[in-house]
Amino acid sequence: MTALNQGWLVARREMRERARSRSFRVSTLLMLIVVVAAVVLPGLLDDGNTTRHVGVSGTTAPAFEQVLSGQTSDDTTIHLHTYDELAAGEEALRDERIDLLVVDGRLLEWRGRPDAELQALVTGALQVATVQQRAAASGLDPDTVARLLSPVRVESLQIGSMPGRSADDDSVAFVMSVVLLTAILIYGNLVLTGVVEEKSSRVVEVLLARVPAKALLGGKVVGIGLLGLGQLAVTALAALIASAAVDSVDLPAVTGSVLAWVLVWFVLGYALYAMVYGALGSLATRTEDAQAVAGPVGYVLIAGYWAAFMAIGEDPEGMWARVLSLFPATAPLAMPGRIALQATDWWEAPLAVLLTLAALAGLVAFAGRVYGNAVLRTGATLRLRDAWHSRQNEPREARTSLAQTMTSSFASPQATVIGTAALAAAGIVAAAVVFALTGDVIWSAVPALLAVAAVRRVRQHR
Amino acid sequence: MLEFDCAVKRFDSLTALDRCTFAAQPGRLTGFLGPNGAGKTTAMRAVFGLLRLDAGEVRWRGSPVIGAERVRFGYMPEERGLYPRMRVREQLVYLGELCGRTSLEAGRVTDRWLERLGVAGRATARVDELSHGNQQRVQLVAALVNEPDLLVLDEPFAGLDPIAMAAMADLLEELARTGVTVLFSSHQLDLVEDLCEDVVIIDQGRVVLAGDLQDLRAATPQRVVDIRYRGPAPEWSDLPQVEVLVSTNGSTRLKVPRDTEIPALLAQLTGHREVTSFSYQPPTLSDLFTAAVGR
Repeated sequence: MTALNQGWLVARREMRERARSRSFRVSTLLMLIVVVAAVVLPGLLDDGNTTRHVGVSGTTAPAFEQVLSGQTSDDTTIHLHTYDELAAGEEALRDERIDLLVVDGRLLEWRGRPDAELQALVTGALQVATVQQRAAASGLDPDTVARLLSPVRVESLQIGSMPGRSADDDSVAFVMSVVLLTAILIYGNLVLTGVVEEKSSRVVEVLLARVPAKALLGGKVVGIGLLGLGQLAVTALAALIASAAVDSVDLPAVTGSVLAWVLVWFVLGYALYAMVYGALGSLATRTEDAQAVAGPVGYVLIAGYWAAFMAIGEDPEGMWARVLSLFPATAPLAMPGRIALQATDWWEAPLAVLLTLAALAGLVAFAGRVYGNAVLRTGATLRLRDAWHSRQNEPREARTSLAQTMTSSFASPQATVIGTAALAAAGIVAAAVVFALTGDVIWSAVPALLAVAAVRRVRQHR
Repeated sequence: MLEFDCAVKRFDSLTALDRCTFAAQPGRLTGFLGPNGAGKTTAMRAVFGLLRLDAGEVRWRGSPVIGAERVRFGYMPEERGLYPRMRVREQLVYLGELCGRTSLEAGRVTDRWLERLGVAGRATARVDELSHGNQQRVQLVAALVNEPDLLVLDEPFAGLDPIAMAAMADLLEELARTGVTVLFSSHQLDLVEDLCEDVVIIDQGRVVLAGDLQDLRAATPQRVVDIRYRGPAPEWSDLPQVEVLVSTNGSTRLKVPRDTEIPALLAQLTGHREVTSFSYQPPTLSDLFTAAVGR
């Protein structure tokens, strides 16, 4: 029985038990409903063939109706309603039977905010019709007039943030980053609570008597990760089927290679953060404590996401975008967006993968050690430093006094000074980064203030 | 055979195991005794690699225990624990699979033990739906599902009612008869005395007494004499080295040297008394324990 086999058994149990749980089924169902609704509903509401109702009251140029229908594009139909009485027209407008009332060919009445598109259309038609009427009155040949005034079709096109890039590319990059962030947070937290549950139910001692700590933690991370991938895949498949069936929303033209990269970065980002969550989870015995211990990881993730968002929004080929997409902790949040925007040099993505893999290897060793040391020590939440340094899994009888002794022995004055200095330096660096990215003093103050708060908290602990 | 050889484990200033040396033999029940905090749980965890020894080693069949061998061991920790929301049978089969058993084998062993312990009817229940007693039984099966060669149980009798205790004792004896090495800790000295061939007594991390229980008892220089009688209390003072442990009206317990002549002792009782019972025995485990721990 190798550790690998055992790890796979652990992963299989995670998948089987979780897939069976009601919370998992409900959340999958909810995700499916939301995604399918997001794809189908706009299609149902917007059949692509808009019908607008325009009311006409009083005298209007006689060619207005003809000009108006000649100017509308193919997917818009305009119905004209004529009202002899202004009051009747306004009542129809108030009842929302019509979108717009044209009064005497020179006043447009709206129920609420004017619709710019319709306004332009009707105004244009009024102009043309009136000019036609005047031209005819001054004796111009009607054919000449018609030729002169034949409508000009004007189309709209959304362009992307960069030359050679479509708006769809931008939205793909945005959606993917959000999905990655959410997935890492959700499945990372499942690892966290899973570890704490094993510790609080004490089953972990039964397991560790047979399975090495690394296989147990690794199997859990793999199992939950595969389950997450499955859940995401099912949701994506549902979205694809729904959009094919309804043919409503234009799915951005995502290329296969971009999708493959998203998959790679989900795996890397999830593995990286799941290891951290697993290690931190082993420090706590109760779920409430675990949330407190692991809270900062969530902040780091969200801060990393925003930094990447701003840097890429600024310039996806700029220095900060490059730095963030190479730095392992932020690479999973920054690199997929840049890849979708085709803003990477050929060497950048492989290098980022290598760096992240290296960080992952380090984290596996780190998490394995902390987890192995901490997971049998129940009771008060352990501190990361104690879990790292301790060679001990002390028996329960001696726990309190030992914990106290250890805390006092590690909380040396030098450690305090070094820790405080490191925090302050990190704050200054972060502030500089934010300033360089945004050029905004107020935003730069945020990390600086966070660092100050952290330093204060460290000092209070002593 | 499981051997502890000079095992040392320090927790900061506290030494939990101090050159701890003893052995547990196959086919025999070994009782692991000691006051609270003596290091019993630490020693048991060391067998399963749940903590790393600072010095010395734990050997199984003559060579240091390595990870892969532990799948042939069974362990019931002091802190009982199972996945509360997992079904009984599935959980046990999973634990068996972790020890390298196929799900079929593990299922067969699980069913056999659930049947034997009378919880077969709850095989598909979730663990947290079971009564406390049934959870204990399932926990025991969790230690047995891989048909271990070595069984280590931390306080297996704690919290059991007398009937469950007797069942557990029967089961451990039966396992030992099939050649399993059984090491268990307990504070119930009477029970250990009845059950175990061997005992290990540990105090402050040091083994203070270890070996075959009957040999240990026989090797002590004292004997305990219990006498019941009707009539006036006898005078013991003219016998050398007799120590009166308890003396009430009609009943006396004496501590005497091993070589005391019983006829001479009995002669003291003659006269106006009728002896209703007389026993001459080596000290009980409880006596050994008290003497060894020295408190």
